[in-house]
Amino acid sequence: MITDFVQNCIDGIMVGSGYSLLALGFTLVFGVLKRLNLSYGPSIMLGAYVGTWSFLNIADNIWLVLLTTICATVVIGIYVEQLCFRAVSKETTIASMVSSFAIWMQLEEIALHLLPERTYPFPAFFDSGLLEFGPFTARSEYLFMFVVMLLLLLILHAFIYRTRIGLAIRAYSDHPSASAYMGIDGSSVLFLAFIIVSIIGGIAGFLILSADSQITPFFGLWATFKGLIAMMLGGIGSLSGAVLGGLILGVIEANAFWYGDPVIRDISSFMLLFTMLIIRPGGIFGHKIEIHQKIASERV
Amino acid sequence: MLNDYLLTVISNIGMISMIAISAYLILITGEISFGQQAYFGISAYAGSIATTLWGWPFWMALIFGSFLAGVAGGLISALTVRINGIYYSIATLAFAEMVRLSLLKFSYQFEIDGEWIGPNGSEGFGEIRWIFENDISILEYTLLIYLVLFLLIAFIYLIEHSKLGMIFRMLGQDPLLASVQGVKIIRYKVLAASLAGFAAGLGGMLYAHSFTYIEPQIFNVMLGVHSLAYGLIGGLGTVLGPIIGVVLDIGFLESIRGIQGYRMIVFGGLMAVMLIFMPRGILDEKRVHRFKKFWEGKTHV
Repeated sequence: MITDFVQNCIDGIMVGSGYSLLALGFTLVFGVLKRLNLSYGPSIMLGAYVGTWSFLNIADNIWLVLLTTICATVVIGIYVEQLCFRAVSKETTIASMVSSFAIWMQLEEIALHLLPERTYPFPAFFDSGLLEFGPFTARSEYLFMFVVMLLLLLILHAFIYRTRIGLAIRAYSDHPSASAYMGIDGSSVLFLAFIIVSIIGGIAGFLILSADSQITPFFGLWATFKGLIAMMLGGIGSLSGAVLGGLILGVIEANAFWYGDPVIRDISSFMLLFTMLIIRPGGIFGHKIEIHQKIASERV
Repeated sequence: MLNDYLLTVISNIGMISMIAISAYLILITGEISFGQQAYFGISAYAGSIATTLWGWPFWMALIFGSFLAGVAGGLISALTVRINGIYYSIATLAFAEMVRLSLLKFSYQFEIDGEWIGPNGSEGFGEIRWIFENDISILEYTLLIYLVLFLLIAFIYLIEHSKLGMIFRMLGQDPLLASVQGVKIIRYKVLAASLAGFAAGLGGMLYAHSFTYIEPQIFNVMLGVHSLAYGLIGGLGTVLGPIIGVVLDIGFLESIRGIQGYRMIVFGGLMAVMLIFMPRGILDEKRVHRFKKFWEGKTHV
């Protein structure tokens, strides 16, 4: 009994590290932009499609797939940034969200033109092996993903809190116009943030898909959903919150799947999100949000 | 001239317009809801159960389903009054997905004439035969849809030109100022959400009876985000805005069947470019105001 539960938690943390990776990208872009990029998941998917395409058509080389996936995701990220976030004026946050949704539709269709079948194989990073720790097991590729996720968290944290560029990003995110007076170029901060986020997305997509060893057109929606839920659970704008949110989501899902079925798993993750938003909207690590105070302080 | 195919497209536009109006109502109060498809779905199921399984008359079932959807909308809005912005959007999304996934588990069947009829989880809910049993042609059903749509638009138009509509827009533009003016924000937000749920419910119930088969997958997040996008394309200045959005989307997509497979690439790009120049849609508040001025100037002369 208890062994099952612990095993579920291990599985959950392993799968959840993928959610954490996605949430890291979401939380960065939302923290900087204060606007929601719905097309994040689909752009990762299209990037991974390009990676698979190179795997099928150019060479059976895992590093090539990794490189093409990341590069394609970055290019698509820049496209999304230019079209949906830079060009749309800052006051109209809804418009950029809807236009990122329009681009989502576009990206999905481009992906389907690139590779029209239902599913394609995605190359595994290394041969999957089952690691055993006493009565518990973990798949090596998931363990690898977990380690990469922690590494990325450390690197990002150091980058955001220890470098001058990170300081510029934080300043912009805190107060765009005040940071402009300090000589920070807002549009290059945005551009940089999008590139970083796309690189994280490319790595996340590559690791998740190579653990699954296949890619389907549903990956875009899936990635957007899981990243969003994990980000909201952890608290917007917090890096460690995003990671924790992803891991919690993974553990809850693994247990709900074990004791129930896939539908119960999905219901429980949305129910968790909904309850969290009602009881503690700021997430686990987020600050309390007081709507009126916030608006009032912005006025002053 | 009006063949069945064209009528189906036209009636589709009518039904989807109702959920677009519902998303629009939330949009003018300043929130973004990703979850209007939940109310569409709740009413589709409730209304169809009422006509097929309980044998209720059509109009009663329509009101029943929409009323239930309105109550659900009000309830969710009451639960989420403390949050706004992205938190509200994600909460509505979570609720809508909960509804959709619960419908996958929802089974309620009666044996009618030796056949089991009723919603059965992921297999959906078929045999909603009201229009066949009552010998209603597609043309008649389309007219019925447009009658309901007309009443809905007239109702929303009246609201928008009353104090209530002013309060809704005030909430959207500046909730703090509104509360300083003595507007009970919570009360009006819940009211707007109930109205929005009711409007989506009308569309959902009509949709179920038009297609005679529904399944939970229809009420996924894509429907909700599309209905949101319609308001933004058409414009947030008038209730006709979302309808323009629907006509543009469905009409445009149907008319460019020739480039099947590329239409989302074209349409998605067009939409993104359009939102750069018109971030609040074609008929936004400014243009509506200008049209009104122009019109009044003409009638005076």
